[in-house]
Amino acid sequence: MLDLPGADTVAPRHISRKPAGVDAVFEHGIRAVGATMLVITGGVGLFLGYQAVPTFQRYGWGFFTTQTWQPDTDQIGIAAVLTGTISVALVAMFFAFPLALTTALYISEYAPARIKPVLVSLVDLMAAVPSIVYGLWGYLLVMPHAGDLARFLQAHLGWIPIFDVPGSDPNAAVPDYGRYQFSAFCAGIAVAMMVMPMACAVMRQVFSQTPVGEKEAALALGATRWGMIRSVVIPFGRGGIIGGTMLGLGRALGETIAVVLIISPSFVVKPNVLEVGTSTVSSLIAGRFGEATQAQLSALLAAGFVLFLITLVVNTLAAIIVNRSRSGAGTDA
Amino acid sequence: MNRTVSVLVRCLAAIALALGCVASMPAASNAVAYAQIEGTGSTWSELIVQQWIADVDANGIKVVYTGGGSSKGRKDFAQGSNDFAISEIPYQGTDELGNADKSDRPYAYLPIVAGGTAFTYQLKVGNDLVRNLRLSGETLVKIFTNQITNWNDPQISKDNNGRKFPSLPITPVVRSDGSGTTAQLTTWMNNQYPSLWRSYFGRSGLTSYYPIKNGTRTIGQSGSDQVMNAVSAASGNGYIGYVEYSYPVNKNFPVVKVLNKAGYYVEPTQYNTAVALTKAKIDPKSLTQILTGVYTNPDKRAYPISSYSYMIIPTAANDPRMTTAKRQTLADFLYYSLCTGQTKAGNYGYSPLTLNLVQAGLKQIALLKKADPKVNLSNRDVRGCNNPTFDGKNPNRNKLAEIAPQPPACDKQGAGPCGFATGTNDPTGGSGGAGGGTTTAGGGGAKAGGGTTGGTTAGGPGATGGAAGGAAGGTGTTAGAAGGAPGAIDPVTGEAITNASAQTGGGDVFADPSTVLSADRPGDKKAFGWLSGLLLVGLVLIPGVYVASLRRRLLAAAR
Repeated sequence: MLDLPGADTVAPRHISRKPAGVDAVFEHGIRAVGATMLVITGGVGLFLGYQAVPTFQRYGWGFFTTQTWQPDTDQIGIAAVLTGTISVALVAMFFAFPLALTTALYISEYAPARIKPVLVSLVDLMAAVPSIVYGLWGYLLVMPHAGDLARFLQAHLGWIPIFDVPGSDPNAAVPDYGRYQFSAFCAGIAVAMMVMPMACAVMRQVFSQTPVGEKEAALALGATRWGMIRSVVIPFGRGGIIGGTMLGLGRALGETIAVVLIISPSFVVKPNVLEVGTSTVSSLIAGRFGEATQAQLSALLAAGFVLFLITLVVNTLAAIIVNRSRSGAGTDA
Repeated sequence: MNRTVSVLVRCLAAIALALGCVASMPAASNAVAYAQIEGTGSTWSELIVQQWIADVDANGIKVVYTGGGSSKGRKDFAQGSNDFAISEIPYQGTDELGNADKSDRPYAYLPIVAGGTAFTYQLKVGNDLVRNLRLSGETLVKIFTNQITNWNDPQISKDNNGRKFPSLPITPVVRSDGSGTTAQLTTWMNNQYPSLWRSYFGRSGLTSYYPIKNGTRTIGQSGSDQVMNAVSAASGNGYIGYVEYSYPVNKNFPVVKVLNKAGYYVEPTQYNTAVALTKAKIDPKSLTQILTGVYTNPDKRAYPISSYSYMIIPTAANDPRMTTAKRQTLADFLYYSLCTGQTKAGNYGYSPLTLNLVQAGLKQIALLKKADPKVNLSNRDVRGCNNPTFDGKNPNRNKLAEIAPQPPACDKQGAGPCGFATGTNDPTGGSGGAGGGTTTAGGGGAKAGGGTTGGTTAGGPGATGGAAGGAAGGTGTTAGAAGGAPGAIDPVTGEAITNASAQTGGGDVFADPSTVLSADRPGDKKAFGWLSGLLLVGLVLIPGVYVASLRRRLLAAAR
């Protein structure tokens, strides 16, 4: 309390937290721009959901349990397409995860300072290559050899159901190579190359935020470099590893044109990833969109809506995990 | 404020000026009033249509054509978003999906480009590609309906005059997208082999979406080029697919010779297709094709699965998109396509349209004049038509019969098989001109002594040849005459065969299936497996070890 004469006549200066003038314009402008992103994403979801309504009404839950996609006999379902999508994505992550993790570790911890920026931009360049190029690469260059690898896997790991190719003898004198092509396995390899840079970039960024003090402390205590990475960098970046992987998974689920090029469409739920034929939601849409009629279009968009929801969940989880890791919570352990 | 307005005005003026220039240019440069026309539709016909567009461009006729599929072309036309469409099948009323497939915009169909649906395959005996497979229509339908599932099926070897193929599962490759090629194939199957096709399809009629049954080996590929890629890939042994003839020709891949009603196995070359299409009828009411006569054409040369694609043109006088200039452009483009343009069809693997179809087409072009009397159609009739299959000035002269070569006798049912490779776009079917010297199919049939690898002997087939059913193939000679001709001697002419390797591709087409299994030596497998494992480990480790040792040496040197 100030004890000044006439104090009650002087009110304290009103302090507003609200920006005024130019600041207000800027803040509202930025807010509007930010909101646009939400509106667009929400709009995509609403549009897909609205278009999908007739399909859901017509087929009900059967839409999720039917395997075939034969509009001419009025049998439409996404059971096979969804499992195909997931198997392609899982194969892609099987290849992309170790590649992304080791690449990110090398770039952030081992690479000489001189070539580090080159490597970073090379990985970013991989992300910038159009997916049709990866599709052609996968189709023309990788697939013939992937077929050999698939036959080898069946010959030696065929007792595990996912590596089995029913009806094909891998030890035949003339193996039936046609059964090992156009499969989820072949498509997954091409998709892996597309999701690897994205997963790698996220992991690298999180690794690079590892507190230098802790790294130096580990080294000072006599840890080797690998020991330091194991005890400091990886625990700190665990959130980034998981988040980057899931972001990659989200992209792998939606990858289209490379998959269209490589797979041979087949609408059967099959656990055998090495066997010819599979189908994914996005490749189904791309393949059938051109000549789709109104009812078919609705069914395609319904499939797209389901994929949208799955991707949304995966990406949201990834975002939550990545955000949490930035706080450095991972180093508590 | 004032300044902004004046800048705006100036900008607008500039834009208007630029637009005006662009708009006025084509009209100014041409004496005949042409306007650019746009079309969409069939990818089956796109190659040749683009060539025609390039040809007429110099005459001021500007045409833009975008593929995208027959179904899309019909849809675009019905919605009034193009000036013409090209489609393999007419409007279906309701399509196979039960949705409306019709146009309320008045239209007419005319034949635009013909071709044969070819069956391309990859069948290896040992390491050599079979290039002279022959199949009857029934065998083909059974293959594509999963009733014949192995290449050693007796029906296949019967079609090939007793020649046996190795035990290898057949993988039919079909189109997974909506396709006019599928529609043409299923039309033929539905018309000629209804019981086989309908029990597989579940109902009658054609479809643009080939049904694939679960648990079968049939695989789908989207687009003709993808089908072709799958069949020609290294892994494609045992595959058979259906595409337009130009695709296997471009890939240098063999096609099946299909049995026709005259009892000859023929390849879908331009002339064989054209000969078959002379029996194409046009339904006077719907103006669509009736191909029953084509499928059962009794000519020895006719390729049964021949058809043509339609152009759909708008015929209403008050069509909102059409103007006199556009109609004139369309009419002149069509006249070029039906006449001179057809000379190029053969080179692209298509087939030229025959007289009956060109006349039908010209009749439809006349509808453009009916819609708009200002369209000039003088001198654009069949007399001036420079079409390769007929003589416009003398329509009664059967020019096609003169230029289309007869099939060689070794392609007759029960004879041969011929040793010529298919898929070469050779209109003579590989038999060359007259004369026995080119008949290289000396041995033929099932042979005991095969299995020599290609190229080891000149005239592989003849040299190894000789046993049962060895049939001669000479133009004009009936087969079966000189079974068991010894050595590399042509059974007809008695001359030594010197060029057989080149013509038949060595012993490949006649290789013996009994040698296949011994080609692989399982005893070596383990050793080579270890070797490749070691190489892999070496590939991973050696660079690192080398760098490490290099560094150590450098450090030692620095000290």
